[in-house]
Amino acid sequence: MSHMSNPLATPDQLFQRRSIDALPIELQDAIFFATQCLTQAAGILLQLPQSVTAQANVLLARYWLVEPMMSHEFSDVSAATIYLTAKLSAHPRSPRDLANVYAYLLSRSTAFFHNPKNPPPPPPNDPSSYYLSEAAYHAFRNRVLALEARVLCALAFDTHVALPHPLAVTYLQALEFLGVPKDRIAKKAVAYLNAALLSPQMLYLTSQPNALAVAAVYNAARDIGAKMPECEWWEVFDVEREELGFLVVGMRSVDGWGRKMRADLKGMMRGAERGMVTRRDVEDELRRRGVEVVVVRAASGNEVDAEEEAARRMDEKMASLEAGG
Amino acid sequence: MASKAKSRWADDEADAALEAQLKKEKEEKKRLKAEKARRLEEEKKAREATAAAAQAQAQAEGDGANGPPAKRRRISPERETAQAAAASDENTNAPKLLRFGGGAFGRPRSVENYDKLNDIEEGAYGWVSRAKEVATGEVVALKRLKIDPKDRGGLPVTGLREIQILKDCDHRNVVKLREVVVGDDTSRIENIFLVLEFLEHDLKSILEDMPEPFLASEVKTLLRQLASGVAYLHDNWILHRDLKTSNLLLNNRGQLKIADFGMARYVGDPPPKLTQLVVTLWYRAPELLLGTSRYDGAIDMWSVGCIFGELLTREPLLQGRNEVDELTKIFELCGVPTEESWPSFRRLPNARGLRLPSSGGRATGSTIRAKFPLLTAAGVGLLNGLLALDPEKRPTAKEMLAHEYFRQDPKPKQEAMFPTFPSKAGQERRRRRETPNAPARGQQAADLGAVDFTGIFSGREREERGGGFSLRMV
Repeated sequence: MSHMSNPLATPDQLFQRRSIDALPIELQDAIFFATQCLTQAAGILLQLPQSVTAQANVLLARYWLVEPMMSHEFSDVSAATIYLTAKLSAHPRSPRDLANVYAYLLSRSTAFFHNPKNPPPPPPNDPSSYYLSEAAYHAFRNRVLALEARVLCALAFDTHVALPHPLAVTYLQALEFLGVPKDRIAKKAVAYLNAALLSPQMLYLTSQPNALAVAAVYNAARDIGAKMPECEWWEVFDVEREELGFLVVGMRSVDGWGRKMRADLKGMMRGAERGMVTRRDVEDELRRRGVEVVVVRAASGNEVDAEEEAARRMDEKMASLEAGG
Repeated sequence: MASKAKSRWADDEADAALEAQLKKEKEEKKRLKAEKARRLEEEKKAREATAAAAQAQAQAEGDGANGPPAKRRRISPERETAQAAAASDENTNAPKLLRFGGGAFGRPRSVENYDKLNDIEEGAYGWVSRAKEVATGEVVALKRLKIDPKDRGGLPVTGLREIQILKDCDHRNVVKLREVVVGDDTSRIENIFLVLEFLEHDLKSILEDMPEPFLASEVKTLLRQLASGVAYLHDNWILHRDLKTSNLLLNNRGQLKIADFGMARYVGDPPPKLTQLVVTLWYRAPELLLGTSRYDGAIDMWSVGCIFGELLTREPLLQGRNEVDELTKIFELCGVPTEESWPSFRRLPNARGLRLPSSGGRATGSTIRAKFPLLTAAGVGLLNGLLALDPEKRPTAKEMLAHEYFRQDPKPKQEAMFPTFPSKAGQERRRRRETPNAPARGQQAADLGAVDFTGIFSGREREERGGGFSLRMV
């Protein structure tokens, strides 16, 4: 049954989102959205199958219900989760590939997070902006590997993610594709499932895959205008009407919400020529709002310093070893 | 002098100490058991009390609100009627939906919840020790992952895969992973422990130590359990890729469990490209030795065949010194591959340059029949099938379970009737059977006195006859 079920967030974990951080909830949502989008972009550049990238999305969402968002740089957490799921899959990627992809995505030249509908003048492709020095690579690798262990530890080493995508296709087959072209409705349903990965409602942590699959099929059928069975067909797939209704609305809202979020994020990264929001952006935003940043700074600041210090010392040791040998 | 001679037979101090220790352990166990029972009883009482309270509360609320809560608003009319009916008899009319419980996620517990008892073994993958859970007194096996800080890939993928796969598995012939715990210092994650159920033995050390081989019925029990575990794994798209006797555990109730999933992985159909560097050499299938990169469950079935042979003789079946020698041993036992016995064999990467003896002259067929003269025809048939050179011709684990061999007499022995052995992992040892010494010089000859031997042969007629010789079946 493992391919039908996921561990879900407990009510306590969901509630803690409002108290664990000093961060206002809409900022958390913005960070969540931006980071999940970054993971998706990295997955494409790393040529990973969507099944691997989607698992990384789910693991990252789980991780942030256990550890506070501000304790590590968002892009590093994204890199660590995608590195981990790729490693466990049939498509492992080297830390070097990962470092190159993230260096590009976080550089000035990146195409990430530019609105495709209304493109600004394309960023000048300046290779020097994503050139990765050896030192930067080592620092990145050490951060990601340390975070990989942290993520695993926070989740008690449970990396199991059952995705609803194959179920949705199976359900569509059972429904004989509702009499519409197969690929059209299947693509639409899968698109809903992929969009749901970015939803701040964390649908993948609150619903089992069968419910997500049924909701995606329902939405796809409605968009296409396919005729659904008259009866309560979702009960055949063990989904309650109430849960279905909630998920249908939740999935449909991701699109509009995401568009607004992109605009908000651009505002938050005022003047920065980057695609990805960073911890510093969030801290600046907090200061602008007059929220006391001191607490966050102190907690996260110390940790970063200690980590960087350790990484630096390790690099030095490596250098001396290499020089000696 | 008689008393002195007697002392050589009596328990010595070591035995007495051992006895005392065993007694102490037994008492400790008894105490823990009693405590556990008491706690369970208390918990049960508490649960009942809260359940009763909740029920009373629900009753009160139901009376007050009279009907389902307002948020369960239904739109379709037929549901309204269903709802009305449900008010009178909720259980019969509510749709019966399956619920998939996936549990929760969160931080692991600390290893401090366990007390280490003794080390069991050290392998390439990590250290295994016997431990006791402090809260319940249950004995478990703790496997600490080896983490190489110089590894540029981070945490070892073998350990992570083992955790991932074992967490998904639930079968009586697959070792159960209870949880994963970590060392108390969580700032640096280097102490990762798998908490596995503890089994007293591994099959390899039993085979090495046992004075007599397993009976035919016992071999069948073990083999059937192995096949049913492998069938479960293959059903769930898992290849074990390192089946061997030292990875098969056995408890004192005759239950066999497959362990050590460091090499295991999920596969799909068609099988993806996989590494050929899997399975311990003596249990490695010929297609792997010949360099195939696409393989399936048949490689596990070859290992099962090797284990079958080992159970019969107590010796690993094909002990090659290296890959070439292993292939030689395989061809010696199973015959040289031909166009009929293994049609696609020449297309394998390492088979192109292979020079084989021509099948014209001497016999180049299988010698399995001759090597296991005491095995029944069905047994030889099964072993021949498992050790078929062509992976396509090997039976699947499911087909193996349905094989004639398991239905023939002697039937598989009941697990509960299985003999027990001293557990190496539990630090038990075989009682030394001391033979009496030769009489000392100058010792006085014992005076037998008046002894009655008449009773020795009484009851001989009632004893069972037979079993004096075994037939050689060739």
